[in-house]
Amino acid sequence: MPEAQPLLRVENLVTRFKSVERSKWISAVDDVSITLAPGEMVGLVGESGCGKSTLGRTIVGLERPQSGRILLDGVDLSTLRGAELRRRRRAIQYVFQDPYASLNDRQTIGEAIAEALIIMGISDPAEQRRRIRTLLDQVGLPDALAERYPRELSGGQRQRVAIARSLAVEPRVLICDEPVSALDLSIRAQVMNLFLRLHKDLGVACLFIAHDLALVRQATSRTYVMYLGKIIEEATSAELYARPSHPYSKALLGSIPSADPRIEVTREPPEIFGDIPSPTNPPSGCRFRTRCPHAAEVCASAVPPLVALSPSHQAGCVLAEKFYAESAAQPLPHPAPAPRDIQTMHAR
Amino acid sequence: MRILQDFARSLRQLPRVSMVAVGVFVTLGVLAPYIAPHDPNAQDLLAAHAGISWEHWLGADHLGRDTLSRLIVSARTSLVGMCLVLLIALSVGITIGTIAGYKRGWVEEVLMRIVDVGLAMPSLIVALAVIGIFGTGYWNMIFALALAWWPGSARISRAVAVGVMNRPHIETLRVLGASPLRVYFHHLLPTTIGAVLVYATADAGAVALSIATLSFLGLGIQPPTPEWGQMLVDALPYLETVPMQVILPGLVLTAVVIGFNLLGESIALNRVPTPLSRRILASRRMLASNWTRAQQ
Ligand SMILES: Nc1ncnc2c1ncn2[C@@H]1O[C@H](COP(=O)(O)OP(=O)(O)O)[C@@H](O)[C@H]1O
Ligand SMILES: [Mg+2]
Repeated sequence: MPEAQPLLRVENLVTRFKSVERSKWISAVDDVSITLAPGEMVGLVGESGCGKSTLGRTIVGLERPQSGRILLDGVDLSTLRGAELRRRRRAIQYVFQDPYASLNDRQTIGEAIAEALIIMGISDPAEQRRRIRTLLDQVGLPDALAERYPRELSGGQRQRVAIARSLAVEPRVLICDEPVSALDLSIRAQVMNLFLRLHKDLGVACLFIAHDLALVRQATSRTYVMYLGKIIEEATSAELYARPSHPYSKALLGSIPSADPRIEVTREPPEIFGDIPSPTNPPSGCRFRTRCPHAAEVCASAVPPLVALSPSHQAGCVLAEKFYAESAAQPLPHPAPAPRDIQTMHAR
Repeated sequence: MRILQDFARSLRQLPRVSMVAVGVFVTLGVLAPYIAPHDPNAQDLLAAHAGISWEHWLGADHLGRDTLSRLIVSARTSLVGMCLVLLIALSVGITIGTIAGYKRGWVEEVLMRIVDVGLAMPSLIVALAVIGIFGTGYWNMIFALALAWWPGSARISRAVAVGVMNRPHIETLRVLGASPLRVYFHHLLPTTIGAVLVYATADAGAVALSIATLSFLGLGIQPPTPEWGQMLVDALPYLETVPMQVILPGLVLTAVVIGFNLLGESIALNRVPTPLSRRILASRRMLASNWTRAQQ
């Protein structure tokens, strides 16, 4: 639940790209507001192409927002310039999806981390070596790896190195963009557990972007659901998975196969059909209406505002309250698993 | 240092013939004064138009100057001229190209339109025009050729720089809060220089040819400095009686140009680095993979 003074607050952010078609725009992120409290682990889920990465990239300054504000500790980052902006923004780090490209293949692991330390202002070589050892240890890598080049490492190891380097600048927010989806299944759980441990040990707030919903559910305390550039539902993870109140969330969560075969038999097939519409001309009103089984005429006229269903649950659908009430009557479709090591998930 | 390593590594995968031609040219150019058996400018009218002999291995020209010595010393003239032209042209080109590739937007537009204008004009015509305006002379020739050559290297540098800037590891650096100067000087510039130096090999032959052409026309290297283009001019009136004196400098020049061109071409085709063999890489990965500690 967001606290009074969130660490990171994004207000009405809009990021657009020029489309390949002339004079058309892709609104990859359209009027998105999110908050992140200190030390909180928050999920961001949605189909591929819905703008999750663009939102993350805009927050760290890799894309220029069209409008909206990004506040870190209550300071609007757009009011800052140059070195001051870089110094402040450093508190937000980004873990890229592809660990193969995010390291310079001409730098050894040690040099890459040392560079982050130099950027931090630590130029004493002995101090650098000491910190590199600590950082590598934190991500479960041996000191000997510092002399190696990225091409000698596996994907999982590179991702660990990338994490170690982001940690070098002592971030308070980590935006993890599908950080394990490029890795082998067998390594995912390990790297995922690393995130959980770092989150716990260092108290870093984490915006965890993923399309593996089971992963998000176990790891995060709160989840945003994004569709075609907009946040359409937000709730604590437990409540979202138990009582999804937007047809898109229902369909998205319905697509997770259950581990329990008795539930799996009775699971309703997802009520979602068709492809995601082109982001160059999104549908009027509710963006999901073209694929929604419950679409009515009102849905075409205006974007449904987020309705508060409980203090920690909002959904952007005209029928949200109905779905919310219905779901209370039913037994939970997926009993919430006890918080446990994620490794067990793949062991089953 | 790493630029040199990469350069040396890519040289190892190149065709022998061109390596030999270029290697001999560079060696002769560097060591010319110590190797040349005679003073290249010493006249000996008694030996004028001499054929092959023990004294003059490749004969002598119409003033009795030793042809072998003149060929060797010309290699130095050509090498020095070529290096100067490339040094100036690449410095300007890489600076303009990397700035365009770094800044993008309107800066890139403006710079690249200037480059396009430069590229639209044939380099020899640009050089002739400059020499026409400023007169003949060694440095005028160097600057004229550099002026003709920088747009090409700017174009390549920009392409390389844009590619480098789009790599995720540069984005990572920006997220870490690296200053623009650090990104530019520590990452963009070294990578771009390394790549562009390799491409410049193909240009080197063309520059050597242009120096010879200008000198042939009397607009480049001035007598008495020995130079292949000049040797051709000197020997041309006697083409029918002593054809060897025309053929030799032509042959040498051709070998150098073809050598550099083949070299440049195979380098361009060979850009994918294979520094470690597959087997070695696999074994090193295997070794390193055991290092990840099992999570508790
Ligand atoms: N640099 C870009 N230029 C143009 N369009 C882009 C760019 N980056 C992303 N997009 C578009 O923005 C939309 C959202 O992309 P992205 O944020 O990568 O989605 P996600 O990460 O959720 O899969 C997509 O339609 C994509 O094509
Ligand atoms: Mg993405």
